[in-house]
Amino acid sequence: MKHSFIRDTLVVAKNTFKESVRDKVFYALFAFAFITITFTLFLGSISLSEDVHVIRSLGMAGIYLFSILITVFLGTALMYKEIERRTLYFILSKPVTHAQVVVGKFLGLFASVALSTLGMTAVYLATVLYAGGGFDRLALLAVFFEILELGLLIALSIFFSTFAKPLAGAVYAILVIYIGHSLGMLAAVSEKSGVLAHRFIQVLYYLLPNLEKFNIRDLVLYNQAPSLSATLAVVLYAAVYATILLCGGTLLLKRREF
Amino acid sequence: MIEIDSLHKQIDGRTIVSNLSLSIQKGSVFGFLGPNGAGKTTTMKILVGLNHPSSGRVTIDGHAPSETLTREKLGFMPEAPYFYEHLTGLEFLRFCGELFARPRGEAAYEALLRKVGIFEAKDQRITTYSKGMKQRLGFAQALVNDPEYVFLDEPLDGLDPIGRRALKSMIRELKHDGRTVFFNSHILFDTEELCDEIGILNRGSLLFAGPLGEFTRGLSLEEQFVATIEQLEVTA
Repeated sequence: MKHSFIRDTLVVAKNTFKESVRDKVFYALFAFAFITITFTLFLGSISLSEDVHVIRSLGMAGIYLFSILITVFLGTALMYKEIERRTLYFILSKPVTHAQVVVGKFLGLFASVALSTLGMTAVYLATVLYAGGGFDRLALLAVFFEILELGLLIALSIFFSTFAKPLAGAVYAILVIYIGHSLGMLAAVSEKSGVLAHRFIQVLYYLLPNLEKFNIRDLVLYNQAPSLSATLAVVLYAAVYATILLCGGTLLLKRREF
Repeated sequence: MIEIDSLHKQIDGRTIVSNLSLSIQKGSVFGFLGPNGAGKTTTMKILVGLNHPSSGRVTIDGHAPSETLTREKLGFMPEAPYFYEHLTGLEFLRFCGELFARPRGEAAYEALLRKVGIFEAKDQRITTYSKGMKQRLGFAQALVNDPEYVFLDEPLDGLDPIGRRALKSMIRELKHDGRTVFFNSHILFDTEELCDEIGILNRGSLLFAGPLGEFTRGLSLEEQFVATIEQLEVTA
């Protein structure tokens, strides 16, 4: 069998997947998400004639919140743990490149985060069905967009974890998530700001990921869906942004002394 | 053959290894000795491709360790290894084996675990392993590709006398099979038993490289080593 970029990357990915789905943080957050999503059933039942709407709204928000938490907690520690615990020595002393390690780690964590998100979605769909809302087909589209955002955020977390400690990486990631969801508002504010503030906000606008592109939850709540071309543009945006971050992470890892 | 030519390594402006030149013949057991902080581990990390020289050249069979194909024939056991604790011993060995072009398969991995004496624990999570068991697993993963060159960083640390004897016997077996073994060690008594040649590094500079007997001159390795280092400290 010969080496190929994909084969070796998948070996690293498989190992990362196994490690992350066996992590206590993963189980704890998943269990908490499960409880929260089913709890929406109770909240729905006490809201007057809006039960399905409340369940859908809170359920989708819950899936998003817990997926983000799993991503940030596991992602920002991923490379740092490998470097600090020196498990990376085992990998990099074998015929594997830095890029394969970074991409493999990304794919492994992406698979486990996507799996947990789909697990939460299954609980959500069952909850909506039980509450009489039928099969929430559009929620699957919202979750698909969310998974794209999670992919971008995993790449971002891995990028941070090549140089920052997990706590610092988590803070950076949460800041980017917050700002990334507020870029539209910031752009509007910048129109009324002075030249310097306007320039600064413009730099942020073009540098940071515009995460609102992935938020179609409100649209879906009102039974609307984005067009195919808009969906493809978002897929491309996520892929390009994540690729740039993974290239950056690879370069930083290559420059590190062990 | 391992060749180190005028190797110089600086980290954060500090010289770790200075003008190191060495040749290690294929099939020999080479002990790399020196006090703490001498630069042994840094040299080994360069030899296995983890770090790069600041200047100078390191080659294994004529190729740089930074080339992935060179690393195909290397095995490396880091000092006091940490592991993926959620994996079992067998899963970890399988993972390491699959990173090579020709994974040797389940039977070979199990045979390796049997050889290092942790077969019974193969399906246990590594987190439940004792320090000695982890050391044995670290040794097993260094042999997972049946390497031509084996680099061991303090391989005898953390092992009980029985574990030490077993590991030394495996190192002898590697030599018997024509493998080249390069190891760092503080345990000079064991080094003396195993090595054909030694290299002594102090503060990044090579003090001696050659056959063991040429260095010891009738004394024990430990006596001669301590005397040499102490003499240097006095003259420094």
